[in-house]
Amino acid sequence: MALALDLRNLPDADVAALAKEGREPAFRELVRRYERPVFSLIFRMVRDRETAEDLAQDTFIKVLNNIDRYRPEFKLSSWLFKIANNVTIDHLRKRQLATVSLDGSPHAQTAAEAQATSLDVESRGESALEAMESRELGSAIELAIAKLRPEYRSCILLRHVEGRSYEEIAATLDLPLGTVKTYIHRARHELREALEDLRE
Amino acid sequence: MERHLLPEEIDLLLDGEVGFGTPPLKAHVRSCPACSSELESARALVRQLEHLPHIAPSPLFASRVMSRVQLFVPWHVALLDSVRGLIPQSRALRVAAAGIFASIAIVLTIVSVWAFSRIDAVMFTADLVLDRMRIAAFSALGSAVTAIFGDAAQPLLAGGALGLGTAALLVVVTGAAAAAMIRVAAVRARSR
Repeated sequence: MALALDLRNLPDADVAALAKEGREPAFRELVRRYERPVFSLIFRMVRDRETAEDLAQDTFIKVLNNIDRYRPEFKLSSWLFKIANNVTIDHLRKRQLATVSLDGSPHAQTAAEAQATSLDVESRGESALEAMESRELGSAIELAIAKLRPEYRSCILLRHVEGRSYEEIAATLDLPLGTVKTYIHRARHELREALEDLRE
Repeated sequence: MERHLLPEEIDLLLDGEVGFGTPPLKAHVRSCPACSSELESARALVRQLEHLPHIAPSPLFASRVMSRVQLFVPWHVALLDSVRGLIPQSRALRVAAAGIFASIAIVLTIVSVWAFSRIDAVMFTADLVLDRMRIAAFSALGSAVTAIFGDAAQPLLAGGALGLGTAALLVVVTGAAAAAMIRVAAVRARSR
């Protein structure tokens, strides 16, 4: 207990050094510190709680199992967000590939063929999980963020929710500084437009 | 400034840039209602974003992560931990332990100095003790071999072949035990 209390006052680099020594409380402290920021970022990217938990879990497992590769001259949080972003973008890409059109095959020649190849989705009531998700991400600003392209979304979330500098975001997302500034500028512009649309 | 602010210039003010290019922009915003409104709208958006809460994962999240993390304690850390575990927690006990160890060290030093001053006597006594131990060990071994193999093993005992055989057997058994211990340690490390 005393060690856990001491860990709370240590900077990330020191906690990471203890984790490199195989100290379990240090691993737990790193999860405690970053579970919410990492989960929030991923949840806002994928908008599905269960998937976000899985991806956040994968992120932490990757980071903690490779903690011996962490170099203290870099911010631990930037490394964590980098892996979280990569894991999420990979997932979004795979999901995009796996998407099936509900409107029928694009190769259908006639309306009848399109009807035959279309998918029927049953209307169903909102589950408890979905209700919670809609409460969590249902505000106008959250809906506007959801409409952004994933790369704009991660930039704007890191900038304004996590309070990262442009340079840190560029390093975290492996993007040129100019690209980060452009993405954030466009994201702000699109958000304002989306919020105006939602108000109307 | 005759024109309205460009979007990049609004961004500069929004990000709180303080370079020499910003005072004219700020002056323009003060005098231009359209740009002032534009900047205020952008600031309102940023405020909304900055007030977005962090969302918590499920309460079992940390446990689920920890169950899949491989904890590996390096040997030097384990050794240091073991040594630290032997040190008493309270100050009084630590002082008492230090006193005991200091007394033992002093006694051992005195004994060592005495032994070196009478090295011939020590060597003679050690030789005598080792000889007695060797005879006792061979006698016990001979009894065991005779009990197992009968009197037929007596010539072997007399010829000294048993000593060599026993030594070889001891080397093999010790080697096998060491290999088994290393294997068990590796399995334990992997299972952790």
